[in-house]
Amino acid sequence: MSTNKKVNVLACSGMGKVYGLMAREAVLHTVNHLCPEQAKTLCLAYIVTGEEEALAGFDHQPCITVDGCPAMCSAKSVAAMGGDIQEELKVLDIMKLHKGAKPGTATELTPEGWAITEEIAAKIADRVQEIQKEGK
Amino acid sequence: MAEELKIGVVSCSGEDCAGGTISRLATRKMMDSIRPDNTVTICLPLFLAGGQEERAFAKEYPTIAVDGCKRACAKQATEKYSGKVNSVVFVSDLIGDEVAEGPALSTRDLTAEHQAMVDKVAVEITKQFDAIMNEKRKEATAPKEDSSCGCGCNC
Repeated sequence: MSTNKKVNVLACSGMGKVYGLMAREAVLHTVNHLCPEQAKTLCLAYIVTGEEEALAGFDHQPCITVDGCPAMCSAKSVAAMGGDIQEELKVLDIMKLHKGAKPGTATELTPEGWAITEEIAAKIADRVQEIQKEGK
Repeated sequence: MAEELKIGVVSCSGEDCAGGTISRLATRKMMDSIRPDNTVTICLPLFLAGGQEERAFAKEYPTIAVDGCKRACAKQATEKYSGKVNSVVFVSDLIGDEVAEGPALSTRDLTAEHQAMVDKVAVEITKQFDAIMNEKRKEATAPKEDSSCGCGCNC
């Protein structure tokens, strides 16, 4: 079974830490390059406004949230708006596999930061494919 | 010496349009190089998800919302949870609706033209930032009115 619905991939984009930027860039890489036909992103802050137009592309569609820090703002916000969360990814979980890495700052990623970000994007893309196959 | 005044800059950081990336980078520029000692960025997703510290800051200190487009999500959120913002910078007013509402933009794909847009937005934020700062400094140094009964007659 498969689904034609695009999977919503939503990043926290946290402003204060490099992990927020990594979450944001991983999501953009996924939806723009890895699976543009199967996934899309939406403005998290717009969804939270609850406006009808914002929720039109969000309701009844599977979601993957990608959060930079343990506050899990994307997951919490999507859950609060009734989103169908299939996966909550945490940048920090992937950073644990790269102890001592210097990914950059909240403004700019280093080449190492970009490489880890692409690894995160690959994980997101894998989940997108699985969710599509499961027909959720 | 009185505590140095801080101003909160709240960027929409919209993930689904170029204006979000420009708003984010211009706000980061305020923190990194233009007014690093006085700029506090408020993490909008944390603010929205119930971050008490962020909400309390935005209640107590002046704020500037930096919104990528006319939906004004940063302004709306700040005013919903904390109080009226002192100023709003609309990225779309400065770089045009077409670009601002165009496809989401990775920092890896920034061109010199995009960088110039970031600079332009940062200049506008700085203008508003300095105006608020000057006003607050004036308020802080203005002599208190000496009116014991509050009627204004100096009795």
